[in-house]
Amino acid sequence: MAISLAESLHIGLADIATRKVRTAVTLFGIVLGVMSIMVVLAIVNGMNAVTLDWMQQRGGLNKIEIEPNWSYDYSRGGEATLSIREVDYLRSQLEGVEAFNPQVMSWGSIVQYRDQDFDASTFGVYPDLQKVEDWGLEKGRFINLEDIRNHNNVIVLGSTVAKSLFGNRNPLGQYVTLNKQQLMVIGVLQSKYWKNQGGGAFSGNVLEYMNRQAFVPLSTMIAKINPNLDITSVEIKVLSDEDISKIRRQIEGVLLNIKGGKDLFRVSSAKEEMQMMQKNMMIFSVIFFLIAVISLLVGGIVITNIMLASVKERTREIGVRMAVGARGKDILIQFLVQTMLITTLGGVFGILAGLSVLNVVQDFLDITVKAAPNMVWVALLVSASTGLMFGIGPAYKASKLDPVKALMED
Amino acid sequence: MAYNGKMFMEIIKTKGLVKDYELGKIKVRALNGVDLSIETGEFVAIMGPSGSGKSTLMHIIGCLDSPTEGDYYLDGTLVSKMRRNELAAIRNAKIGFVFQSFNLLPHLNILKNVELPLMYAGIAGKKRSLRAREILDSVGLSDRLRHKPGELSGGQRQRVAIARAIVNNPSIVLADEPTGNLDSTSGGDILEIFEQLHSLGNTVIMVTHDAAVAARADRIIQIHDGKIEDGD
Repeated sequence: MAISLAESLHIGLADIATRKVRTAVTLFGIVLGVMSIMVVLAIVNGMNAVTLDWMQQRGGLNKIEIEPNWSYDYSRGGEATLSIREVDYLRSQLEGVEAFNPQVMSWGSIVQYRDQDFDASTFGVYPDLQKVEDWGLEKGRFINLEDIRNHNNVIVLGSTVAKSLFGNRNPLGQYVTLNKQQLMVIGVLQSKYWKNQGGGAFSGNVLEYMNRQAFVPLSTMIAKINPNLDITSVEIKVLSDEDISKIRRQIEGVLLNIKGGKDLFRVSSAKEEMQMMQKNMMIFSVIFFLIAVISLLVGGIVITNIMLASVKERTREIGVRMAVGARGKDILIQFLVQTMLITTLGGVFGILAGLSVLNVVQDFLDITVKAAPNMVWVALLVSASTGLMFGIGPAYKASKLDPVKALMED
Repeated sequence: MAYNGKMFMEIIKTKGLVKDYELGKIKVRALNGVDLSIETGEFVAIMGPSGSGKSTLMHIIGCLDSPTEGDYYLDGTLVSKMRRNELAAIRNAKIGFVFQSFNLLPHLNILKNVELPLMYAGIAGKKRSLRAREILDSVGLSDRLRHKPGELSGGQRQRVAIARAIVNNPSIVLADEPTGNLDSTSGGDILEIFEQLHSLGNTVIMVTHDAAVAARADRIIQIHDGKIEDGD
């Protein structure tokens, strides 16, 4: 015999319409709370999207890097270098690998073209570099296996290197000098661009260093240009990022084997690194979220107070409703539904307000914020449950009123 | 008057009703052994000075309150031992209240006010509205359906309250000083409506301290110091 939910909704809406100012006051805290939740979620969402984008720019999530382990105690002996034979052995031990690029690097090598020179980072690489870095060509071709086999004197330039040396002229087919070796330019790589968050000192193109790189075949580098160089890093791209942890551990095992149990290398996967980054950002999310929750708590306490006042003010009405047959449950639902209606309404306004300030937040903090559809559901759920949490007390109190006393109330 | 086979049946029967209140540390006995019998179709006035216990008796008869001791049978059912929710259902189905101060909900129009008991009875919207209109028509207010109680005169408001009291076809209509807030003309009108209800076979119980009002009833029950005085 209980009254239906639709009936309670109807009563609730009618009450809200009658008490507009009070409803507006009650709403305010919830609107602010939900608004800040929306903004927080959008910021977190934006940070995650940016991190993912950064990872994609750096060659995607299914990338594994082998680098010297800087925390290794080198007094124990051993060097963090790999020979071609060791690299080939490592490659032969791995399955599910899409691309494999061992590389040597030479800092501050001067690339010369006629009277122009450029202080570039030059690398000796395998053809797979392109796949590993997900790096397209602007013109020409990249190093191929033929170049590796024949120790060809060829070079591929980063966009800034090409621009500095050749200006608007076409570099393809021209010869540059690197450490007294004449090298033919066979390709120019696409410019890499990625802008950092928040402006400040690092607001420029963070990937510009890549545009200042130049690439020659690994064999040419070691045999002709700089015989002292050793392979110190390997970049690997796996076919599926689901296997990435497994393959990373496999690589660690092979390297330990080769190096007689010395952990000379650090093996890291992009996916795990991103998870780490997201974990690190979680602390910000948690702090932001706590702030939002606190404002909702304050809003909730205001609601409890206003609803308690409302129950007191409407004691006689409650008595009348009980006299004509309302049960405690009916009264409880009536007040609870009304509170939840108010907070949900506040939630809707909060969502709208949150969405409308996102752009302001984005411009003001110079960070990427990104709304997602599920944020709306989270915000609605949060506002409705705030109503439930902070409305249940006053509603319960109303439902337990003694009808005789309630009817005598002024 | 053999309208429902309940003729001369006891609609209300109480045995040894006792009601104690705690006022701070003092225990106050509001009712002290009330034995009462009212038959179906009677028009009864309960009279007594203030503090006599007549309000307490009315609350118990109206199932708003339970006695501390004693039994109360309403329409053959023992209701004195019932719990809150069961009492609410009984109030909804068997009792129609008319209060001195009308007790209409000010922000609902009079149609909605009259529909209220039907809503708590779980009757659907359309049927509810139809029944409420019918009743409001019978008390002469069919042209005021959308008015709020505040827009009506005292007499009109009390007629709305009566409409609300009888809309559920209750076993008893229970009126507490129904003319207390009215001038003599509209008070007279209200009493006439009660007489009409009585003549149609309804059981009407009226609580009052006004002898002239009580005189309109068939039977007067005098209550004094929580006890019924003989002589009716």
